Parts: sequence; C-alpha cells; structure tokens
Amino acid sequence: MSESDVKLKVRNILPWIRRATQAGMLAVLGQWSFYGIFRCPFLVPFVDCQNCPVITCWGRITTLFWGFWLFLPLSAILFGRAFCGWLCPGGLVNQMIGKIAIFKLRTRNPLLKIAPLGLGVGLAVALFLWLGYHNPRSMVPIRVGEFWSAIRLSFEHASPFWLTRTFVVLGLVAAGLIVANLWCRFACPTGGLMELVRRIALFRVFKTSACNDCNACLRVCEMGTRPDEVNCTNCGDCLKICPVDAIQFGRKTK
Amino acid sequence: MERRAFLKAAMASTVAAATMKPGRLSAGWFQADSLQVWSCGGLAEAMNPANRIYEQKTGIKIQYTGAFAAALGKSLQGSAVTDVFAGRVLKLAKSLKAAKKMIYFRPLCFTEYVLITPPGNPAGIKSVEDLARPGVPVILPLGASPPGGDAVMGILKKAKIDQAVLKNAIRMETCVIKMMPAIIAGEGKASIVERRLTRMVRYEGKVDVIPIPETLFPPGPLTFTIGVMKYAKDRPLADDYVQFMCSDEVQAIFERQGFIPAASEKGRMLIEKLGVKDV
Repeated sequence: MSESDVKLKVRNILPWIRRATQAGMLAVLGQWSFYGIFRCPFLVPFVDCQNCPVITCWGRITTLFWGFWLFLPLSAILFGRAFCGWLCPGGLVNQMIGKIAIFKLRTRNPLLKIAPLGLGVGLAVALFLWLGYHNPRSMVPIRVGEFWSAIRLSFEHASPFWLTRTFVVLGLVAAGLIVANLWCRFACPTGGLMELVRRIALFRVFKTSACNDCNACLRVCEMGTRPDEVNCTNCGDCLKICPVDAIQFGRKTK
Repeated sequence: MERRAFLKAAMASTVAAATMKPGRLSAGWFQADSLQVWSCGGLAEAMNPANRIYEQKTGIKIQYTGAFAAALGKSLQGSAVTDVFAGRVLKLAKSLKAAKKMIYFRPLCFTEYVLITPPGNPAGIKSVEDLARPGVPVILPLGASPPGGDAVMGILKKAKIDQAVLKNAIRMETCVIKMMPAIIAGEGKASIVERRLTRMVRYEGKVDVIPIPETLFPPGPLTFTIGVMKYAKDRPLADDYVQFMCSDEVQAIFERQGFIPAASEKGRMLIEKLGVKDV
C-alpha cells in the first residue's frame, strides 16, 4: 500500500475516530457539563467548582475541575481550538442538533464574517459576571439528589438571573435547530476563549498554497468555516474533501 | 452426602447468606425497599454518612435529596411530596404539621454560630464587637439565601454593631461555602458562619474559630427537626428511619459535623429553651 493510500485511509476513518473520542469524552465530562447548565448555582458555571455546595457534581468531588483547566491551555498550545471539535460534550450535542438544522450556513457572506464576534461578547459577559460581579450564587443549590427531580427543584428555586442565563443558553442551543451549531459558532464563551488563543497552536489543519478557493471544505464543515480560519476547530472533517489536496495537518510553515 | 445432611447444609447456607448480606432480612420487615428523604438547611454532610449506615444495616435504599436553605420546605408547602423531611426552622415543621402534611416531628439537632478568622487570627479578633473596630476588613454572607444572611445580620443587630460592621464589610457574599476560601486566604480578616462550615473536610483546621455567646443567636434558624410526612408509603419504615437518625450512633455523626445533637445535654436544654416539641 502506498503512502498516499495510507493517508487516504487515515483521512477516511478520522471522522469516526473523532466521534468515538467525543463519545468517550461525553462519558468523562458529560455529567459535569449537564450539572453546569442545570444544577450549578452560580451564574457562570465551571469556574467555582472547588467552592461549590453541590456535593454530588463530578466537577466538585473529583479533580476534574483542576484537571480540566490545566488541560485546556495545553490542548490550545498543541491543537488550537480542537477541544471544541473533539472533546467538548456540549460541542457534540450542538453538532448532533446541527445535523437536522434548517440552515447550515456553510457559505461566506459579510454577516457570517462578523457573527463570530458573538463569541467575544459571550466571553466578555462571562468574565464580567465571574471576575467583576463575583459570580453570585443565584439558585438555591440542590446539593444532593436524583438528577431529574433535582433539576426540577433547581428551576423551582432559581432567581430570575439564573433562569435568564439558563434559558438564554438553552435557547441558543435549541436555535441550533434553525442555524447549525449556532451556540458553538456565535455565542460560546469557552469557544471565544479558545478562539483568542487558537493561533498559538503548534499543530493545525491548514490550507496550502495549492488552495483554489473552491470552498469544498466550507461545504462539509459543521462550523461553516475553512481550515485555519475563525471557528476552525481542527476537527479534520475537511482533510479528505479537497479536490487539489490543499488541506494538510501538522506544523504550518510560512 | 446423605439427602438429609444435604438439605440441612443447604438450609443453613441460605440462612447464613441472607444474614451476612447486610439488611437482607431486615429489609423484609418493611413493605417498601426504598425511602425518599429530603433535608434542607445544610444537613447534607451529616445525612450522607448516616444514610450509608442505614442502607448497610437494613438494605433499604435511601433516595436522598438535600438542599441549601429551606428550598425543599417551600416545595413541600406547595405540591411536592416525600416520605421523611428533615428541615430547618421550627416554624416550618409546625406549619407543615398544621397543614396536615407532616404526621409528626422530632428534634434532630441544633446549629450554632461562630466567628472565623484566617489562621493565626491576624486582626486579633476576640469577640463579635471586634468586627466593628475601624479598619477590620470583614466579609459577610449577607446575600446568602434565608436564613443564612438574615441570621448573621440578626447577630450583629443584637450586638448593636450592625452599622459599624457594615462599614467594615469589603464584600457581601451570596454563598457561605464560596466565602470560606476568601477568609482562609486572609482577604477578609473575620466573618460569622455556622460551626458546621468549619467542620467540612475542605475547611477543617484551616480557620481559627471563636465562639459567639448564645444570647446573640437569633432563635429561628437554630433548630433542625425530622418528621414523617403523610405521604410516607411505608409508615413503619419511615418511623424506623427517624428513630435511627435520633439514635446515639447517628447523633454522634451530627456532632462531628459541627451540630449540637438533640440527644446531648446541651441539645436537651435547647429543646426546652426553644420549645422544640410536637404539640
């Protein structure tokens, strides 16, 4: 088998490896993610786990919290925004919803060029609430309890601030049924943070000078972007699609 | 082996196996194999180990939900149901009883308030009055849901230092648990919390603890009761669980977690003083 055959084979199975990795990470991070949205008593979840009264959350009772925030910068240094495309349970949920979205928006236009600024807005709001506003506890935490009944009680005893943040997040995720991956592409604060630092990545998916701007990659991208551009998560879905083999993965040399 | 010997051995093995597996036989005493227990007001750290012991002893599964502040109590006053409820504030138990939602209640334990300072007590705090000394940075959990913030304010008001202490407050916290690291780190030089906070694994031994005179405590939030609700699916099981939570074995757990057990001498005194009686 020639080297190009092996390359082709790898590129063909890469999406399956990615899905398997996402499924694995759903098992590892999923419970914490869902607690973050539905049972975290603070306005900004995932940042105050070490001091959280909810004693059954994995972020609280394991070292997941510290591990995650140490791992995230490391993943950014190595692979840029790959966390969003490969590891984030929320990303997987959004991608699955996006499969049946009415508008995929895998095109290029001026509106879609500025829409990712929403990631920055999401990040700014989260940073303001966390650092500037001391991340207030705005829901009576259900500290121990069965998952679904505890979620029901959480909503029952939440303040309007908590309900607003939760319904905004859930609403934007649900809006992914209309615009594919709307949350990940235009609103996620963690995505915004990763977007800011993705250029430091040592390894990335990128276009070579052979690129003829045919946009075949754009048309298969769940995030509606092209390699190494805004919202590229180095997922690798586009590696096998380029008609002129202008998409590579590795160190990008100028 | 003869048939008679075989049958004897088989019978003995069955009995032994049933006896050795925790709770196998005792579970048979009750109709239900699980009990829904709710608690609120900060009991989770004590209820969790107690529930595990009960499960081991009886084989009954405890479906436990615990909430910070009196959230579950409010739900029960509405349309929510549970078998057993351990709640904070005597008035809540009495109102559930008056509404005929609770069959009976018993005193479970009491809480007490203490001053906390960073290790070494850098501001030299000796009493509540020292919180009012000009320039002492304090962090107060006044934004915590009732009765958390209200109780601390009640102590300051009774000591007639509330306005002076508020001037020293560098931050109002919304969560007592989230506030603790700021005291440990010395960001605030003092605060007022329940003793149970200082017994949590993550904070034990990390702050200096100074008692506050009982005369300053607001009586409302001190009392925890445990009661059987009218919705209890298996009344004997619910009664047994309540009896177990009031036993010396479990009361010792509550004491370890910073509560005053109802069964202790001080607890009995508080029962009389606060009128914690189901009449």
